[in-house]
Amino acid sequence: MSINEHNMKNSLDENVLKLADGCQVSEEQVGRYMSGLLNERAQYVHADVAQRLSFARNSVVAQHASQQTQAHSIHQSGNVLQWLGDHAGQYFGQHRVMSVAMVAGVMLLTFFTVQQFEFNRNLESSDAFLLASELPPEAYADKGFDTWLVSKRD
Amino acid sequence: MATNKELSDFLESVERRAFKQTAYAVRDDHAALDIVQDAMMKLAEKYGDKPVEELPMLFQRILQNTMRDFWRRQKVRNLWTTLLSSFGGGHDGEEERDPLETIDIEDDSEEPSARLERSQTIKLIERALEKLPRRQREAFVLRYWEEMDVAETASIMGCSQGSVKTHCSRAVHAMAAELKMHGLEGLGLDKTSLSN
Repeated sequence: MSINEHNMKNSLDENVLKLADGCQVSEEQVGRYMSGLLNERAQYVHADVAQRLSFARNSVVAQHASQQTQAHSIHQSGNVLQWLGDHAGQYFGQHRVMSVAMVAGVMLLTFFTVQQFEFNRNLESSDAFLLASELPPEAYADKGFDTWLVSKRD
Repeated sequence: MATNKELSDFLESVERRAFKQTAYAVRDDHAALDIVQDAMMKLAEKYGDKPVEELPMLFQRILQNTMRDFWRRQKVRNLWTTLLSSFGGGHDGEEERDPLETIDIEDDSEEPSARLERSQTIKLIERALEKLPRRQREAFVLRYWEEMDVAETASIMGCSQGSVKTHCSRAVHAMAAELKMHGLEGLGLDKTSLSN
């Protein structure tokens, strides 16, 4: 453990920092002092950074303004479908993974539903066949019935 | 609901600070700009209808989350880069950057030595902030720089108030230790400003 770490550990519980002249300052004072200096420095950014930030801000504000106008016009015209369409479009645009997952989910659900319908339809037709048949249902369940039928015919 | 002017004024008041905070965290100015722009867009898009007094906390929350997303993407990208470079057997040209390796001094002949000393102190603080672990830096920025209280900071960071206090304390002590290591025993503190 270095001396700095040792000193840091010792003074950590006290919530104060000891300076070289024996003076003690609270962590909060030091934190705020450092933040003040950082804030001072943050105001001076490179010109192209400032320009890009300004551009980003203006486009965000323009977008916000158009959203507000849109919301206002929807409110006036009462076109709920348009509003829903816009919002759904925005949602799907932003959450591509979710959208793909949702489409896949819907496809799977459709597949299983069709399968289930098909199974029920087959079951119904086989029931109808058994009921309409002259032979009792046990005859079809008996594995030796076909052999017996053939031997009887011969 | 925030008006366009209120939103614009708010963004103008935080954009440079947010850029610097992000740049300290991601150490890449271009990525920092993208992150700040992304956070601004999300704020206007999702919370543009919120009152203006709620915007600072919402913006900070979005900014921190956007930074986390950036790191997640970086992690995946780094994984692929490592995998591909191990196949290619290429050399690792990137050297780990030590932010304290070089401390350049602004040349401003008009200013007195006090100004120079202050500038050096700021540079040391900036680099000490960059060196902090992510959670400590987050806590320091939100608590002291953004002047949020412990509860708000805890809410944004998604941790307990006790954790926030611990992170803040460790951050301040670590930064102070860095400053002392570079000869600033008094941390460059202006006693008169502290007494106010």
